[in-house]
Amino acid sequence: MDFSQTPGENYANPKTCFFHVLFKAAALAFYILSALFVDSFVIIFVVTVVLAALDFWVVKNVSGRILVGLRWWNEINEDGESVWKFESLDQQSLARINKKDSWLFWWTLYLNAAAWIVLGVFSVIRFQVDYVLVIAVCLSLSIANIIGFTKCQKDAKKQIQAFATQTISSRFSSTLQSAFSVV
Amino acid sequence: MSHSDTIPLHSSSQSDIDEIENLINASVQSGPATVQPARPPSPPRIPVSSSPFLQSNLPPPTTAAAKLPPLPSSSAPPSVLPATVPGPAPPPANSAGSNNFAASGFGPAPNTLTEPVWDTVKRDLSRIVSNLKLVVFPNPFREDPGKALRDWDLWGPFFFIVFLGLVLSWSASVKKSEVFAVAFALLAAGAVILTLNVLLLGGHIIFFQSLSLLGYCLFPLDVGALICMLQDNVILKIVVVCVTLAWSSWAAYPFMSSAVNPRRKALALYPVFLMYVSVGFLIIAID
Repeated sequence: MDFSQTPGENYANPKTCFFHVLFKAAALAFYILSALFVDSFVIIFVVTVVLAALDFWVVKNVSGRILVGLRWWNEINEDGESVWKFESLDQQSLARINKKDSWLFWWTLYLNAAAWIVLGVFSVIRFQVDYVLVIAVCLSLSIANIIGFTKCQKDAKKQIQAFATQTISSRFSSTLQSAFSVV
Repeated sequence: MSHSDTIPLHSSSQSDIDEIENLINASVQSGPATVQPARPPSPPRIPVSSSPFLQSNLPPPTTAAAKLPPLPSSSAPPSVLPATVPGPAPPPANSAGSNNFAASGFGPAPNTLTEPVWDTVKRDLSRIVSNLKLVVFPNPFREDPGKALRDWDLWGPFFFIVFLGLVLSWSASVKKSEVFAVAFALLAAGAVILTLNVLLLGGHIIFFQSLSLLGYCLFPLDVGALICMLQDNVILKIVVVCVTLAWSSWAAYPFMSSAVNPRRKALALYPVFLMYVSVGFLIIAID
């Protein structure tokens, strides 16, 4: 996570972007090309699902942090209830995030899900139920990440707004106080 | 402008994150967190919103801002959803949330890409091992389901389900692909349905925690299937499957039974037992 680089025309974190795209592309490519080379459904299933799971982990733990400064997870608190937690950078750092990085992040997430949906439609048309299983798993992983990060981003924006209004109101009251103390 | 850059706005809500930070940072080699010249010197983080998100039947808490609508758990996501938790859940003995690392909002910033990845991997692996030990082996926390799988994860169940499917597929001499697909779908759908069963009986469990538990309880059956694959004696197979089946049921029992009304215990436990018995039959019958 290197905000010291000038966010200009280039990606600020090329290695992270590469890995962000790598596993998604590998899962899709393997799934599509495997029909040509591999006979065994088991191998196709296991390899595709493992690549999709690796991609899920990379996006959630690494590229989400680095490319867009967001993170989400779930905890169970003392009362035994499930709590979704979100974390984001403060406004200055968020403003400094490389635009290309975040563009790549979000667009590859959406395109990945769209690609799996298209492949799913093909499988359904061909009545290949076991391939629909593979696609269901991969699709659910992509959608989980999309939902998680979207909520995290909305939450971050709300935090910024709340922070801003609170800052304004506290400044206002402190200004009032200092005005009265002068008087 | 942002004068409270250096001051966390809500120190109370920071404590959980601070603990997680400390745990994360404590496992990192000391280098990275201090070598951040471009970063602001203090943790400029926005207060974390902890939105109480209920998947049980408890009445909604009155804390402010249920800021999120609940995720559509009713849409029954396929159970193989490895939702890795990036940081370990705060340990029960809450250490003071002193933030001794001036990192930016989330943990160790990497110098290279591999450094934090390895640490995250190690942390996740150790969580899998500890969850496994908690669920499957005797330990003092078994009576309290809230503690048992506090930091649930779905990687362990994922590995075990895939492994069981693979072993069954290898053992089969014909129709290997169907065997694998059926085993996987049966286990995944079975876990989801069993969880829904408990929820519909009015029990208090958390969806993903229960999925995680049912997945971890497959570990004895994995071991049994592996042994059965290597041995051909039918009697031995039956004995091994019975032993591992009993072990799996014993592992799942406390959690499931304490989640429901005592009068409905059998209704919640019987389907679990039934599923494990059917997996056991699958193991014996495959040749």
